[in-house]
Amino acid sequence: MNEIEEMNDTLVGQGRRAIDLIVDPGSFCEDKVPGWQPEPGYGPGAVVGSASVQGRPVVILANDAEAINDRFPVVYFGVIGLEEAYKMARTVYGVIAADKDKPAAEKTPLVLIVDTPGNGPGRVEELFGMNCATGAYQLALAEARQSGHPVVAMVVGRAISGAFLCHGLQAGRILALAPEFGTMIHVMPISSVSRITKIEPERLHELAQSNPVFAAGVNFFSRLGGVDEIVESFDAMPDAIARHIDALRAGEACGPQQRGSLGAERGGRVTRPQVEAKMAEEFAAVADSYL
Amino acid sequence: MTDWQELQSKSFFEASARQRALGLADAGTFTEFLGPRDRITSPHLPVLNEAVEFDDGIVTGVGKLDDRPLFIISQEGRFIGGAVGEVGGAKMTGLIKLALSAWEKLADQPERLAKKGPAVVISFETGGVRLHEANAGLLAHAEVMDLIQRCRGKVPVLALIGSKVGCFGGMGFIAAATDAVIMSAKGRLGLTGPEVIEQEMGKEEFDSTDKSMISRTTGGKHKYIMRDCNILVEDSISAFRDGVRQALAETPEELAAGRRIGTPELVCERIDLVALAAEMFPKDAKDIWSYYGNAQPDLIPEMTTEEFLRTAKRRP
Repeated sequence: MNEIEEMNDTLVGQGRRAIDLIVDPGSFCEDKVPGWQPEPGYGPGAVVGSASVQGRPVVILANDAEAINDRFPVVYFGVIGLEEAYKMARTVYGVIAADKDKPAAEKTPLVLIVDTPGNGPGRVEELFGMNCATGAYQLALAEARQSGHPVVAMVVGRAISGAFLCHGLQAGRILALAPEFGTMIHVMPISSVSRITKIEPERLHELAQSNPVFAAGVNFFSRLGGVDEIVESFDAMPDAIARHIDALRAGEACGPQQRGSLGAERGGRVTRPQVEAKMAEEFAAVADSYL
Repeated sequence: MTDWQELQSKSFFEASARQRALGLADAGTFTEFLGPRDRITSPHLPVLNEAVEFDDGIVTGVGKLDDRPLFIISQEGRFIGGAVGEVGGAKMTGLIKLALSAWEKLADQPERLAKKGPAVVISFETGGVRLHEANAGLLAHAEVMDLIQRCRGKVPVLALIGSKVGCFGGMGFIAAATDAVIMSAKGRLGLTGPEVIEQEMGKEEFDSTDKSMISRTTGGKHKYIMRDCNILVEDSISAFRDGVRQALAETPEELAAGRRIGTPELVCERIDLVALAAEMFPKDAKDIWSYYGNAQPDLIPEMTTEEFLRTAKRRP
């Protein structure tokens, strides 16, 4: 595909196409993951499977916006519901268990392909604990990363608020397609920020140039350290993912705490380290009477 | 310490974040970090013409509970609904990191750790991310979650939920990820707030004006029946303090057995629970209460906590 054709193209709502663009041709085997076999049709909004990316065997976790979950009507257009979150969590634990005795250099990378607008908002979801479902997947990803699995998230479409926390923000590295491809990272759009703050959207856009903290968009998020690298074309995705897998294999710092440091470095979140340092200083002064 | 004594009988629901922090620790033992006097305020709120608070709506510090160092985070719902921004988020992560470093210091003294190891308590009163500094708030949530996983098997992390705002949004899953959830019947816990569900899915799915339905769905009694709440207590600071003491008296194995999520086995148990959700598709929490053997679910909302605890049948 040449660059001009790509310019108006988007992967929003096309998780399965994104998988095809990222993995080595013909390498994706859906539901073939270590430790368990998801039943066909279970948690259809989440796609899991094994594949390779530039020759590196990986496990893929992605969203399928075209799937509808017959059992849970709030799950459509890429929403992560109860089944979806546990399907992803169980897959991650299966990978951790299968590689338990392998040295860090051989642990299977997890590649999260992100295009999700939210977690299941519904009565049954709240009754049965949607908070537990999204939390379970996040803890599994945190454990995988902390035990040495390279975890790379590739935002190809929507990465909205709690759904991004669920599927993305526990990764070691986060990559995002450039905003020209319709990529969206935000908690809420500027129009909603405007309603809450009673400041005109135009003024908010101006303010966002000097303070990226409330604004919607990949570039603002990147300045806060929330995106490690912006990927400029579809074709560049496999190489970028492979590069970050290799960097994580080499032991480079990663994960949410590292993105905190990155946010300070890029000037978007400079107060965070001051707060943590001051607290450590204040604790040191009294620690002896508590420990 | 008359003031501290008075705090003990005070309603947890009505108490401010600082009162909760002071009252949860042993009398006179709470030292606040990054308190109002440090004046580190949100650099982002003034840009949007919002007033700042000198503690950014979160009280953090260390106290003692029966000689055990207790690292306390207490959220203030009266400041922008207890929502978490850059400073408040960093206060949470900073405090949990201090608890972890305290654990590391004692790591070579297992006996001392078992009896007097550090613990973290988070008194939640929040809807999650502060929208005025949403991106920083979101990133802070991920950092807290990462730290909770790091605390596993080392530093117990306890969630206390019984304040006005409840515990929703991203903080709803952070509470779920802790070692034990302690609630009062008035406590509210969930992911998507009632107004948001109604806005997205319609009034038929969720009527955000139906207070008793919201209470049945997100309240302490329902969460206790589902085992999404481990310990249900009366609405007073001393009752929550006793709840913390009870949770910390558990062995690491007992504490692990009470968790909701965080292992493959628990995820499998949850997958079975979701199958039940699909099969039952309850219209109301009462359907689930009867399913678990509560013969008269209509009476449960009006029961006193004591009566409820004596008679309630929970998810096996």
